[in-house]
Amino acid sequence: MILLLALALVVTLLGGVLVGGWLDRVVAGRGAGPLRAAAALAVRGSVRTEAPDDLLQRLAPILYLALAAVGLSVVPFAPGAALVESPVGIVIWGSCEALTIIAVFLHGWSPNAPFPLIGAYRYVAIALPVMLPSMFVLIAAALPAESLSLSAIVESQRDIWNVVRQPLGLPLFVMVGLTLTLRGPMDYADAADMAGGTSAEEGGGARLAWEIARLAMLVSVSAVAAAVFLGGPLGPVLPGPVWLWFKTAAVMALIVLAGTSVTRTTPSRMLGLIWTIVLPLSFLHLGIAGVLAL
Amino acid sequence: MAVNWLARLAAAAPAPVFTCIGPGIQAAVERLCLSPALDRVATPRAAAILLVAGEIPDHAQEALDRVHDQVPHPRQTFRWDGTGDPEPALRDLWRDLAAGGDTETDRRPDAPPNDWCGVGPHGQGGKGMMGGTPYGRPMAMTADDPRDGLALDAYTARLGPFVPMLPPGLVLEVTLQGDVIVSAEVRAAPFAQPDDASAPDFCAARMLRLVGLPRDADRVARGARLRAITALRAIPEGLGRHDGQDARGRLAGWLAGERGPEAAPALATLLPGLEWSEAMLVINSFSPATLAHVAISKEDA
Repeated sequence: MILLLALALVVTLLGGVLVGGWLDRVVAGRGAGPLRAAAALAVRGSVRTEAPDDLLQRLAPILYLALAAVGLSVVPFAPGAALVESPVGIVIWGSCEALTIIAVFLHGWSPNAPFPLIGAYRYVAIALPVMLPSMFVLIAAALPAESLSLSAIVESQRDIWNVVRQPLGLPLFVMVGLTLTLRGPMDYADAADMAGGTSAEEGGGARLAWEIARLAMLVSVSAVAAAVFLGGPLGPVLPGPVWLWFKTAAVMALIVLAGTSVTRTTPSRMLGLIWTIVLPLSFLHLGIAGVLAL
Repeated sequence: MAVNWLARLAAAAPAPVFTCIGPGIQAAVERLCLSPALDRVATPRAAAILLVAGEIPDHAQEALDRVHDQVPHPRQTFRWDGTGDPEPALRDLWRDLAAGGDTETDRRPDAPPNDWCGVGPHGQGGKGMMGGTPYGRPMAMTADDPRDGLALDAYTARLGPFVPMLPPGLVLEVTLQGDVIVSAEVRAAPFAQPDDASAPDFCAARMLRLVGLPRDADRVARGARLRAITALRAIPEGLGRHDGQDARGRLAGWLAGERGPEAAPALATLLPGLEWSEAMLVINSFSPATLAHVAISKEDA
């Protein structure tokens, strides 16, 4: 059973990365499909910057990918069947979210160059406060389940999905997803105004590894959203994993679409928005969920 | 034969091109890069082909060579004078490069641009282990902060003339504290561009790219309508105000098809105090024609 679940996790990540790359192409309306884009990166070399931190440069995409995999491991593929069936699944996912900030920071720190470094610091400033709404939203989803386990949260949605019961949850979590995957309005790390930010000094295989890790994180955050808000593997006729895959793909499409159609504002203004609007909103959301769960 | 298979797969992807744009050819290059066969990358590190468009003036030649040496191997330079359609040739070039074809050697020596200066206790100049310009590279040194009183490291760097988010030819020497610009000086004016580079569609597209809307930027540059939401409201109100119009107002004007403002203030007075992304928005909220005029008249004076 463990082996089967481990296989499901690998298949989900691999397939999800391909689907994510394909979605990016379809929604952007240009560029190459995932395989061609990967090949185009793989055939190119990379240039070493002056005095980079080689170890951290290699570690950054590995850490990012590993966090995506660990985060996905607590998501149940069938009711009650997650690779890591933890009573505190939400906490494990939450730590993966927070450590993503470290991975992105290392990616910007290691090339020893100005644009990546500015991108890294800018990302930390934005992503840290985004972790707070994320925790409130996840705790709100845990209240009706009376458990921090993702399997229990899925089980609590047999009658009604959380997306209906807690309508603010999914939109807030999409914002978290955009932040964790460095996309569109929340991409303060790899943005165009800094010639690619933390990726500005990177090409070839190193860039490929980073892009794969980004897409893997998109899969994981979407799978968690599918489990927390859309009932995860619950659904008629089809087997659990298939439902989870469908729902994950739908959330992925939502995040990709939001990433290309919502405008990014300046970092200081976004910081203000997060602290003064998003954070109180998520607290209100938690309060309402708490009262309803009583 | 795995390599062949990989090369064929790669050749089917858009050709990764970094553009170095000379005088008078900006609009032609931007139009060319709308092609789905090309991928205009933001950094030479991500390119395979260096597209050198137009005649690069002598004073920018050294910078061009530096950019050239940052393109990873295998790499090729493609020169384009703005006539004819270079797309088939670029595609062929990319197919060769994807298959590991010929590459170009470095144009500049792999050596520091200046000598180690040998001043102070650690030899680099500056105070203690900070500051100074060892090998001609300025080191960070704490300085008073213009924003909140925190004494952060100040870092001076020269940007341009081929940075994708600045007008081609513009060289700015900026001193940054974090991402706040403390001072900015124009070291070289943007290359002169004819009126087509200042067309409202193209000006708007440049700003939309900065705020994370490449898809809409392409659409607007082709003359279609903007679809993204909050494009105008994302730009802070009052940012880069000049002649009663702010950056948001200028973008709104371009999106409505109006040609840009006729005058811009000196960048050296406009940029200090702004954060990096705000500064890029402000610079790109003036048309290339306006910016070229401002910088040149400042040098004349």
